[in-house]
Amino acid sequence: MIQLAYLDYLAVEGKSWLHRSSPVSKMFGVVLVLTGVVLVRSILGLLALYGALLFVFFASRLSFKVFPLTLYPLFFAFFFIFMSGFEFYFIGLVFLKVVCGSTSVVLLLATTPYPSIFSILGKVLPSLFVTALFLTYRSIFILLNILEETQQAIYLRGGFQWRHPWRSVVNISNAFGHLMIKGIEASEAMYESMTLRGFKNKIHYRGE
Amino acid sequence: MSHIHFPDGILPTWLWVSGFVIAILVWVVFFRLIQREDLGKRLPLLGMMAAAMVLGAAVEILPIAYHVNLTVISGMLLGPSLVYLATFVVNVLLALFGHGGITVIGLNTLVLSLEGILGYYLFRLFRRVLKRLVVASFLATFLALLVSTCAMIGIVSLGTTHYGELLDHGDENGIIGFELGKDKGHDKEAVRPKKEVNFGRFIAVVLPLGFIGWILEGIITSLMMRYIYRLRPDLLGMGSQEA
Repeated sequence: MIQLAYLDYLAVEGKSWLHRSSPVSKMFGVVLVLTGVVLVRSILGLLALYGALLFVFFASRLSFKVFPLTLYPLFFAFFFIFMSGFEFYFIGLVFLKVVCGSTSVVLLLATTPYPSIFSILGKVLPSLFVTALFLTYRSIFILLNILEETQQAIYLRGGFQWRHPWRSVVNISNAFGHLMIKGIEASEAMYESMTLRGFKNKIHYRGE
Repeated sequence: MSHIHFPDGILPTWLWVSGFVIAILVWVVFFRLIQREDLGKRLPLLGMMAAAMVLGAAVEILPIAYHVNLTVISGMLLGPSLVYLATFVVNVLLALFGHGGITVIGLNTLVLSLEGILGYYLFRLFRRVLKRLVVASFLATFLALLVSTCAMIGIVSLGTTHYGELLDHGDENGIIGFELGKDKGHDKEAVRPKKEVNFGRFIAVVLPLGFIGWILEGIITSLMMRYIYRLRPDLLGMGSQEA
């Protein structure tokens, strides 16, 4: 999540052929990949899909720094190892489904500025939902900034130390509490400025 | 732990489609309950709490692979209708980063919002009965997480037959399969025993790890509530005399 700002930077500043492709076609591509992930049940089929996605990733010359993001969801697939009774075929199938889905989404987010994505979503989903989605996305950046400042304060107060678990939990909880209060205050300020600009439960994107 | 971390294509189609249908129906009901004017005012707050939930879910606690959901504290601060909308948004964003599949968004919304809504009502109940903020927050969080994890296990168990089919595909082709290296003349079904998913093992891993996580999240939530109460009691709808 910390790399979200970098993804955003890539999406806006990138100049590859994938960046120049229309957002609608890229979103359609993600839907196609997800349909494939749901339907394909053979490792070879999924390997072919993953190979194609990797080809697009490297052909669009995206920074290799975002590649680990495509592997991040594998962390959550760890329970399948126990569930399958260490069946390698099943584990391979699950892991490939995971990386195919995440690679397609990272490709979309790293090559399409988020207002363009929300603008398209606004045409097919309820405006209230898209507005909430947009505000949440914006708020993540605000909270990340607050978190950065708070991290320094936690560090000065001892941070997280296994030798002092209780003190560490109190520090972390206070940091989260601080994050919440600062976040709520920021949301109040955001509402005031949005009202001044004529906000009425819907955000309008450029070109609408 | 209550969040369903299944990627796309693992849960049976009927299950995730039903999840979407029910989640949308519940959305419509809650949307009618919220007053339009109030919603506009609280949308930025909803966005901020949803963002906090997304960030909480991104921080993995090793070695138990647990992440805090912050759904219960969001429920306490936002109320039942808004926390439902917030969890829907959170699950869409988490799914975009591969934290649970996109097809699982509906089911995840139902499970996580159950946690938030239950947390809200349990907190109000315990606060009235026990008159102690920290204890009430801890109990509400612990019980809400316990119930939502059980709901998650219940939902996942509905697809057991389907997982067995996926396991069996080690030697078969799926809906879209490749014929490479397949020996058509040999009837493997007759000799190969049906493989089954060991669901008991899944529960045996999830529940003990979950138990540690519920206690941890309960402590974190109650300490956060204490911190918020000290600085902004108005956010909890409490006067300074109630502690």
